Amino acid sequence: MLVLSRQRDESIMIGDTIVVTIVDIRGDKVRLGINAPAEIPVHRQEVYEAIQRENLRAARLETGDTRNIGKFAGRDASGPAHPPEGPRR
Amino acid sequence: MRISTTRFGRIDVDPADVLHFPSGLPGIEDCRDWALLADADNDALGWLQSTTRGDVALAVVSPRRFVPDYQVRIPRSEITPLSLADMRQAQVVVVVGRTDTALTLNLKAPIVINLEARTGRQVVASGDLPMRYELGSPRPALKKSA
Repeated sequence: MLVLSRQRDESIMIGDTIVVTIVDIRGDKVRLGINAPAEIPVHRQEVYEAIQRENLRAARLETGDTRNIGKFAGRDASGPAHPPEGPRR
Repeated sequence: MRISTTRFGRIDVDPADVLHFPSGLPGIEDCRDWALLADADNDALGWLQSTTRGDVALAVVSPRRFVPDYQVRIPRSEITPLSLADMRQAQVVVVVGRTDTALTLNLKAPIVINLEARTGRQVVASGDLPMRYELGSPRPALKKSA
């Protein structure tokens, strides 16, 4: 792993487009500012890994598992949430 | 286009209906193109079916039907890649999972779909939201997040 020392308000560049800036240092907490192109997702690692685990777990779901999900559904809420749309199988 | 799936057999998907996820989904990064299918038995349920891998599909629901007080707040940086001109073009769904005893909803990482552009992205919502919200278990309403 490349290790660099930086002070507050200093930055590092990753490639041509990603800039990571040390915004603040307080005790054992460091605040980072990240400028990256919109197509580069930026995540806290532990959150990203948790989402990965959840998606992989969810991908094992079979159609039989969801048979009773309707009993937990309320009436179709009006407002910005839409029911899933698409071709009916 | 016709795709062979493990759950639904052979299905026909209009290429114009395919949803493109430029970043894939965490853990399933290799699947970029998906079809949103309505479940035959349950109008509250949909399936995001990978169009390239027949064995990969995620059950999704509109969260408001199951968690009426769910209010999703998404940081601007998470939503910018979808180029939504208008949030009314956005469809928000959450992924259904399962524990040994209950079905769960991932309220922390909803999937936002730009219906106009047919693009989608799984985002990380702000606030203290569960990745395994259990359906049917008596639990207090969602905490109001800071």
